[in-house]
Amino acid sequence: MSTATTDAPTASLEEAQPDAAPQDHGGHGPKFLAHHFDTPVQQFDAAKLGMWLFLAQELLFFSGLFVLYSVYRSWYPADFSWASHQLNRFMGGANTIVLLFSSLTAALAVRSAQVGDRKKTGMLLLVTIACAFAFLVIKYFEYVHKFEAGLLPGDRFHPVAAHLAASTRDLPIPQHGGSFFGIYFMMTGVHGLHVIIGIGVMFWIWLRNQRGEFSEQFWTPVDLVALYWHLVDLIWIYLFPLLYLID
Amino acid sequence: MSSHPQNEHTSDDDGAVHAHVAPTKLYIGIFLALVAATVLTIGLSLVHLGTWNLAIAVVIATAKAALVVTFFMHLKDDNRFHALIFVGTLLFAGIFLAYTLNDTQHRGQVDRVNGSQMNDATGERAPGGLP
Repeated sequence: MSTATTDAPTASLEEAQPDAAPQDHGGHGPKFLAHHFDTPVQQFDAAKLGMWLFLAQELLFFSGLFVLYSVYRSWYPADFSWASHQLNRFMGGANTIVLLFSSLTAALAVRSAQVGDRKKTGMLLLVTIACAFAFLVIKYFEYVHKFEAGLLPGDRFHPVAAHLAASTRDLPIPQHGGSFFGIYFMMTGVHGLHVIIGIGVMFWIWLRNQRGEFSEQFWTPVDLVALYWHLVDLIWIYLFPLLYLID
Repeated sequence: MSSHPQNEHTSDDDGAVHAHVAPTKLYIGIFLALVAATVLTIGLSLVHLGTWNLAIAVVIATAKAALVVTFFMHLKDDNRFHALIFVGTLLFAGIFLAYTLNDTQHRGQVDRVNGSQMNDATGERAPGGLP
């Protein structure tokens, strides 16, 4: 630990100059180093630890929805199969590829930030944001179809025969289809909300990148926003087969 | 944290962040593997395998998640404590799921109307159930 070696001189400096302005606080390190950290690596470790704890909280938050899904699927497997066939596998699959690609560009944005390529970092962040928008556009078309087909949560579940998948048109309307679509809209809706928040945060990080705040020495915010974005991808990796691909 | 794996590249503890910069090719390779796994999971979903469909879909999704976490999220070269947080979270989510399903999947068997048959097939009675 470097704490012990740097604490002592900082403390004695403050004692020697009690009138020093607060912003001079020790006058240590580079501009990006917050004054309550001793070294850049200490600041980096603290930020990463905080982010991973946040991601853990996100996983636990989503776990409630996944447990809800599991309980209802185990209760009404046939209804879930029927409802799953109403979802568009092509659109869901396309959105999976879009999100995987955006995870790639996010990871590459971190890499170019690590090597100090500001221009490339900015470009890759913009591509990631564009993918996020593409995901939402595809999701919008899927939602519109659900609304038109009456595939809605709970009591509002009134399927319109003409809009149903050909393979299920001769089957009876399942009693608990509304449960599936309640879960479908809640899971994809909360996930979509994360995508929207991701767009906002990535745009903020893009602005900071264009302002020249990041360098080979400091790229933590790019790293953290990419971690968040990968988590959004991670959730979708499970949502896609669980919602769209029920046999 | 002097035990930080990212510091292993330097012998001097200068307090700076030393990134483990992975090659671009690795990231592209992981992406292609993820796309291949997606195509595979869609293909297998069209084959009727009964209950195995769900198991296969979850296994493939978990393999994809492992790739994302290990390489895109850098857990491979990261502080091991972050991996502990992640795996610990999954463990508790698993406990949440297992205990909940253990309840919801056996409700009808424990208290059917006013009896307490544990197992319809054997007629086994619930411990402490009605006579």
